[in-house]
This record gives sequence, C-alpha cells and structure tokens, in this order.
Amino acid sequence: MVKEKKIVVKKQAYIVNDEIADQIRSEMKEKNKLFFNVMGSIGAGKTLLLERIAEKLSTKYRVFVINGDVATTIDADRIAKQGATTVQINTGGGCHLTAKLIRIELDKIDINNYDIFFAENVGNLICPSSWDIGGQLNIVVVSITEGEYVVKKHPIIFKGADIAIINKCDLEGPDFDSKVLREDAVKIKSGMKVICTSAKTGLGVDELIKTLGIKFP
Amino acid sequence: MHEYSLAVAIVDQVKEIVKEYNANSVKKITVSAGPYEMVIPELLYEAYDIIIDNLDKFKESKLELIMKTAEITCLNCDYKGEPSKEGDDEFAFNFKCPKCDSRDTHLNMQYLTIETVDLEILE
Repeated sequence: MVKEKKIVVKKQAYIVNDEIADQIRSEMKEKNKLFFNVMGSIGAGKTLLLERIAEKLSTKYRVFVINGDVATTIDADRIAKQGATTVQINTGGGCHLTAKLIRIELDKIDINNYDIFFAENVGNLICPSSWDIGGQLNIVVVSITEGEYVVKKHPIIFKGADIAIINKCDLEGPDFDSKVLREDAVKIKSGMKVICTSAKTGLGVDELIKTLGIKFP
Repeated sequence: MHEYSLAVAIVDQVKEIVKEYNANSVKKITVSAGPYEMVIPELLYEAYDIIIDNLDKFKESKLELIMKTAEITCLNCDYKGEPSKEGDDEFAFNFKCPKCDSRDTHLNMQYLTIETVDLEILE
C-alpha cells in the first residue's frame, strides 16, 4: 500500500557545508595554523596580492594557497613561483568555493607541513559571501579602478568581512579615489579594518601581513 | 549561479531522508529563505529541475520556495526582529532598529532551509 508522508526537516541547506567549515576552522586552530578566505571581484588584484604575500612569507613560513577559478591553473602557477605550495580548484562553472572543496584539498596534504593557508575564492562579490569555507578571517579585495560605489553595490560581502583591502592605490589621483570606498567599508560594518594596498608596488602589504596576525620578518 | 549549488545541497539532504524512510518517491520539497539570501526563485527551480532529471525517485517532485521577512539584531540595544520599514538612502540592507533608531544592526541571515519533504512510502 502506498502512503504519503510529510516529514518536517527544518534543516539549513548549507548545514553540511557549515559543519565542514566549522571542522576546518577547529582543526586549523587546534594545530596552530592560520587560514584566510580571500574574496573579491575579477581583476581586483587578489592573485598579485597573494604573490606579494607569498614572496615575503615564504622566507619564514610554509605557505599553502588554494586557488579557485572556473578554469585554468594560471593563478596557482603564478603564486607557486613565489615560494608557496599551491593547488588549483577548477569549479567548472561554479561561482564560489565551498567548505567541501577545501576539505578535499586539505585531505590530500599533511596540514602539519604548512603554517599559513590562503584560499583565493572565485572572482565574484556575490556568491562567496554565502558560503563559509572555514577561514579564520574573511578578506574582501576591491580596487579603486572598479569605481567608488563597489561597497554600496555589494553590501552583503562587506557586512560579512573582517578586513577590506582597497587595492591599486598606486593609481590614486584625479581619476581614481579610494576615499569613498574606505569610508563606505567602515560605514557598512563598524570595526572593519580597511587597508589601502598596491600589489603592484608592494604598498600596504606589510600592514596587511601584520593585520593578519602574522609575525614578520 | 549559486542556486545550482543550493539545489545540489537540497537534493543531497533529501536523498538521505529518502533512504532513512525507505521512500518510493519524493512528491514535494518545501524550502524557505530570508529576503537577502540572494536566491532567485526561478534560477533555483531551473537548477532543481536539471539536477532531478536523472533521479528516478525525484522525477515527479516539486520544489516550493517560501520567502521569509528580514530579521535584524540591533548591536546597540539588542533588539531582535523585523527592521524598521524606513530604508537607508545610502546603503541597501543597512537596516534601522525600530526600537532605538540605530543603524548599527546585524542582518540575521536566514539561510535556505529545508522545511518539509512530502514522500510517497510503500507500506
């Protein structure tokens, strides 16, 4: 006999992801490792910034970088040249990383062999904000060439961030201004740490490393 | 299009429920989300239909999304509930507390939640 039955579930669709993310965060803390989720739009300069960071930190620390992109290993290859160990996740159309994708990569290595972990999320200011990947800090990178209204247009990702990086500040001048971006980032989230950087010249990279709680040099 | 990932997450969880109840098929899945979860209903439905296309036990099922109202926590006075109707001309989602008028508020994310699953069970 066939019967219909209504099951009350009341479970978040993200629950499996969030459980894995919490587990990653706990494991990193327990093993005294640092793990940062780096988000930002396409072309904001996330990869070059991570190249600069890897170049500096690799002299003292064992750095592991997970790169998320729809296709290619371009970013992972670039950062690997700066002394970090890298792995590229190709999402094949997916617009963000997930905790499960991070877990799969972490399971392929011995976490104890590294000190600091970064995940460069897929270039996108929308979807990554909804998916916890287990990072201890969420970093959003925007650049002044994206226009002064980026924070206003994408408030949710900034609401959920701990650090806002305004990149390409070497171009600061009559055509590009970081003032509105800097002010908006603090207005949208009180206590937000805002850092102006230039991944190209190295401006602000030391300040960022210090803000991440990394002892350097 | 994170709706595809969400649809996968929904189907993965319901697959476990189907196993648990040894169900013959899924008739309906009801999910809910807050208004600022960036879920576009049409895209979620489309993604769901693509995913279940080759899943025998889901083929006849329907997905229903219920949109909830927004909820904030005021960081100034600890109020928790619906925000003031008065918007912010400068920032979207920068809600005002109806109790103390502060805009130092936290938007409580009401993530996509599987509310109920209607199953057909052979007994």
